[in-house]
Amino acid sequence: MRFALFPGCTISDRLPFIEKSIRMIAPHFNIELIDLPFTCCPEPNSVRSFSDKTWLTMGARNLALAEEAGVNIMTACAGCFESLSMSKHVLDSKPSEKEEVNKVLKKIGKEYKGQVEVRHIQQVLYEDIGIEEIQRNVQYPINYRAVIHPGCHTLRPQKILNLDDAEAPMKLDELVRAIGMESLDYMDKVMCCGAGVRGINREIAFGVLREKMDSMMMVDPEVAVVFCPTCFISFEAGQKVVNRMFDKKYNLPVYYYTEILAAAMGLEGVESILSEHRVKFSALGMLVAKNEPEIENATPH
Amino acid sequence: MTTSDSVSDAGTGVEPKVEAAESEIRIGVFPCKCGKNIGAVVDIDTVAEYAKTLPGVVHVQVNTYTCADPGQKEIQEAIREHNLNRIIVASCSPTMHEDTFRKTVKGAGLNPYLCIMANIREHVSWVHQQDPEGATTKAKELVAMAVAKATSLVPQPELDVPVTPSALVVGAGVAGMQASLDLADMGYKVYLIEKEPTIGGIMAILDKVFPQNDCSICILGPKMVDVIQHPNIKVISMAEVDEVSGYVGNFSVRVRQRARYVDPDACTACAECIEVCPVDIPSRVDQNLTWKKAIYIPFPQAVPSSYVIDPEACLGMDLLRCGKCYEKCEQHAVIPEDEDKIIEFEVGVIIIATGFEPADPKKIPRLGWGRYPNVITSLEFERLINAAGPTEGKLVRPSDITKPKSVAIVQCVGSRDIHTRMGCSNFCCAESVKCALLIKEHYPETEVVIYYQDLRMHGKYFEDQYHKAREEGIKFIRGRVGEIQEYPHTKNLRISVEDTTHNELLLVDFDMVILSMGAEGVAGNVPLPISVTQDKFYIESHPKLRPVDTSSAGVFICGGAESPKDIRDSVIQASAAAGRASIILQRGRYPIEALSARIQQDICSRCGTCVKRCPYGAIIQDGTGRYTVMGALCQACGTCAGDCPKDAIVMPNFTNEQIFAQIETALKENPEEKIVAFACAFCSYRGSDLAGVSRMQYPTNARVIRAMCSGRYSVKFAQRAFELGAGSVLYSGCHLPADCHFQTGNHWMAKREPRIRNWMKRKGINDERFRIEWVSAGEGKKWQQIMTDMSEIAMKHADEIRKKRTAKSKGKTKGGKQAKSKRSPKTQGTKKGKKKTTKTKRKKED
Amino acid sequence: MERTTDADRINEIQHSAQPCFQCGICAASCPIFRVAPDFNPRMAVDEVLRTGTVAMTGREWFCAYCLMCEERCPMEVALSEILIDIKNLSANDGKVPPSIIEMMDVIRFTGKVSHASKRTEKKRRELGLPELPKPDVDEVQTIFEMTGALDRLMRFREAEVEPE
Repeated sequence: MRFALFPGCTISDRLPFIEKSIRMIAPHFNIELIDLPFTCCPEPNSVRSFSDKTWLTMGARNLALAEEAGVNIMTACAGCFESLSMSKHVLDSKPSEKEEVNKVLKKIGKEYKGQVEVRHIQQVLYEDIGIEEIQRNVQYPINYRAVIHPGCHTLRPQKILNLDDAEAPMKLDELVRAIGMESLDYMDKVMCCGAGVRGINREIAFGVLREKMDSMMMVDPEVAVVFCPTCFISFEAGQKVVNRMFDKKYNLPVYYYTEILAAAMGLEGVESILSEHRVKFSALGMLVAKNEPEIENATPH
Repeated sequence: MTTSDSVSDAGTGVEPKVEAAESEIRIGVFPCKCGKNIGAVVDIDTVAEYAKTLPGVVHVQVNTYTCADPGQKEIQEAIREHNLNRIIVASCSPTMHEDTFRKTVKGAGLNPYLCIMANIREHVSWVHQQDPEGATTKAKELVAMAVAKATSLVPQPELDVPVTPSALVVGAGVAGMQASLDLADMGYKVYLIEKEPTIGGIMAILDKVFPQNDCSICILGPKMVDVIQHPNIKVISMAEVDEVSGYVGNFSVRVRQRARYVDPDACTACAECIEVCPVDIPSRVDQNLTWKKAIYIPFPQAVPSSYVIDPEACLGMDLLRCGKCYEKCEQHAVIPEDEDKIIEFEVGVIIIATGFEPADPKKIPRLGWGRYPNVITSLEFERLINAAGPTEGKLVRPSDITKPKSVAIVQCVGSRDIHTRMGCSNFCCAESVKCALLIKEHYPETEVVIYYQDLRMHGKYFEDQYHKAREEGIKFIRGRVGEIQEYPHTKNLRISVEDTTHNELLLVDFDMVILSMGAEGVAGNVPLPISVTQDKFYIESHPKLRPVDTSSAGVFICGGAESPKDIRDSVIQASAAAGRASIILQRGRYPIEALSARIQQDICSRCGTCVKRCPYGAIIQDGTGRYTVMGALCQACGTCAGDCPKDAIVMPNFTNEQIFAQIETALKENPEEKIVAFACAFCSYRGSDLAGVSRMQYPTNARVIRAMCSGRYSVKFAQRAFELGAGSVLYSGCHLPADCHFQTGNHWMAKREPRIRNWMKRKGINDERFRIEWVSAGEGKKWQQIMTDMSEIAMKHADEIRKKRTAKSKGKTKGGKQAKSKRSPKTQGTKKGKKKTTKTKRKKED
Repeated sequence: MERTTDADRINEIQHSAQPCFQCGICAASCPIFRVAPDFNPRMAVDEVLRTGTVAMTGREWFCAYCLMCEERCPMEVALSEILIDIKNLSANDGKVPPSIIEMMDVIRFTGKVSHASKRTEKKRRELGLPELPKPDVDEVQTIFEMTGALDRLMRFREAEVEPE
């Protein structure tokens, strides 16, 4: 499998350790990644709201780059996934829009033809590689109680993205179960983390996050697992803001799925990733660094 | 017409034989003055004199009121005296009096289908009041067109078929039961087919029924017994219809009955078998809230009152594998070797009462049914509150078997949503109020809130129930529930809803939520060619005037199979269907459409296109590969003939030959100025009549050719008209999508448009000269507008032709006067029309 | 490349709002409405239906574009798209929250929303991550010019300068 990795600005420039975890696990599943001079996807809410034509054309440029290189795109960020998928949907379903966009692309020597596919890394892991293969690669099952947050932009609009059930998603649950975790069902599982309005109105954004995390905390989780860097920042950095703003005492470690997968696979260098986290989960660090024999006892294979 | 026309079929002699035309054609023409209605505008004597000159016409007689008794007598006398064998009455619209005059000629011993009309009132005198000269010319030409058509008319046999005095009723819910009882009480044999092991349908599993909230099974139970004990009703349970062949009055039905493994006549329902049966399976009747055995009776009042074995759950009725029930049953009612049976019988009529399925809550995941145990459907609630249900009537939460202190009822579930069903279920509002009242009745201290979008308490006594509910303290909040979430530890539920009257978000906690479910259609489950809506309900013949008839003669629909409805409406409709069906049964014979299609076997290439066009399933392929028309099913729309690539289908009284004769006659004089307009009998022609009745004036150059349905208009008609130089051609039909009297004829006509336009393009014919329009019987104004517009188009074309001719003759003789004088002013329209034409001409010259 | 005028866009909004029958499922599903009672997606559509115009109150920018409303709408009204359209109208009017202007400026000059700081670059090196190929900023400039983003940025600057 060969993909152009679309890490997205948030991962590549703010959370490079997440990118690291993706590049760490990729070879183990025969995923070959290439890098292309992508711009921002662009961000699906603000940029599209500011100028939907700019949004569509920049998206088309990114798609055209992958098309030129003859590879499909694998996104690591839910926002990029939604943005590029929606651009592709608009371009493929409205020939007049495609024509307009290609007029602009022609100026920069590019053309969008409509041959490229946009995948999210969750789809690649779940659909192409499969739960069984992931389980086979798990060396040190991590048996913690997790709440998962799939992220708005992996789920909706369901009929375009087609990644999981938008109301009752189960695929990320299956993925975390594959590495030994218990996935806790909780209220407001498909609710937004509030990141979309963080730049517009902090009270609203963190108010939404408070609602979401209150629901999460009801089931007493040990970790949260996400598949979107924006949601990651929301939960990881945002919980401290919520604690200040609303007098809460959240202390919930947050992981991007491939980080915790890399840990469960026992890959070298995982410590350097996990040390970047602001909310530390000491048990996990210990687990990876030292307690290998105990784990071996726990797993027959 | 040739003698090789296919005759009969399905071994019945239903398709009538066609008589060959007599050798000598003797036409009588009867121009009518209609008092001053026609006489004041059209010079009837000129028309009469002209008619005498037409080929085949041997007698012409003017009358002031042809439709009055003396006028009719004159026609009859003339037929006898002059030995007339074709009659043309030139008077009003055939819609008005065709039947009258057909009866008249029949009275004189002539086949009624040898009489046709020329419409010189609605199409001439009433719409060309300012142009008597033009009107007279048009009347003359309309008579000539009728004469041309009459020449090839042939007698059509008036046949009928015998009717088997029995009925098939499919589905034994409350509607099917009612229809069966009605027909059986009238003395007809009824075969009542039910797919479940018991009759009774959804009503049998309800606890109480609104608006009186009486016990459902208490009122239905006795009716179920009436059905099974009625000497004229044969109940066939656990059965489905496999095949239906034949036609109205003569349906052959094949039913497949699944093995019951218990002899219903021997079983006494003593219940000893269930004590020994080791298998537990979820109980469907109890909405899977409890268990039943592999040998079971659906509910105590089931009819037939007999146990049944679920073969998929049963371990084996032989003693080796299990056989405990077989051993235990003292009546020897268990039959391990029971098999599926095929039952065949003949019926005259069919009533479909297959009902609906409750909507599927799994399709609305945001409401959490299936994930959260305390979210239940209204049917689950019915079983929980029912004394014979799994909890013996105690309302409890499935998660912990405790009594809920607060209950929310959520409406419109599975209804009014593109993702499930767009329509309203018609019963979920009343159902919600009933559930709420039942809870209050049993547990007055419970807090009950109904979340509704629009409260539709439309039925008799419904509003009283609503008032009662308010008095009982049941809360009503307007807003549709967005989602339901479950508290992880308590399993309580949180509802998100916007109170839309206060623009306020409510996050409210409840112990239990009831989803008020809508309905899902299941139509299409009976092998009959009856159209089905997108949401799978059977389509009626006419939503207002023929609500229980279908497009297939002799087949009727009622109850939930037609649309979601409550018990009262189902019963009303069932009796209506039985009443309609009994008309056919009581007459004993069913008349066949005399003008039904005939396939000429020596021309037919057996492409099968006609089968796809026929909305009635009237064309079948017999064992030898021949396509034949079942006369009793054909409604004579002619859509098959319209698309027959070989012109092998003859539509009596609307044959290609006759229509071509009309076109040719219409275009004999000044074709370039004429509009050849095709109008369907049920909408467009009536629309043109309305223009007449309303005295809406338009130019005189239209020549209307009537057909039963726009589906009849072949591509060739327009082509022939253009080849003969017609100024413009109109194909007019009933409005798309659903107005067509013959279901789909207008759709098939519309599909021919590209072929006509492409042909025109190849021939260099200006695109605007052909038009397809949809004119209803109420659109006289639209007809007037179309006639005026198309007249202008024709006149513009005529001007172009003239200019070309002038140019040519100028080149030859250096003078265009001759050519110009050729133009007939008589075909000019009203003054207005005239002016317009001149204007157009001037523009061109500029 | 101003394909649609504002009038066209308003027409489109009206057209797509028409099937709405005011059931409130969108509002009941909106995470923003849950904490900000001022922002009701149903009322945004209702306003269009009721007045025939699009009011730009600034609250349209509160939409987090989580698409919950659109996913659940029983009439398939594209609420998120409607809000995107309303925001585009606001943007064309120069009414844009400053954070978005900042973001657009960063994209305009770097092609990315969050340009890599020295610290991140160092971190990437430490983690052994490859240097990512940089997008051609001239291309981004061209797109900004030709698709109207630049105009809108300029209009915002003008609106900013104007004394209130």
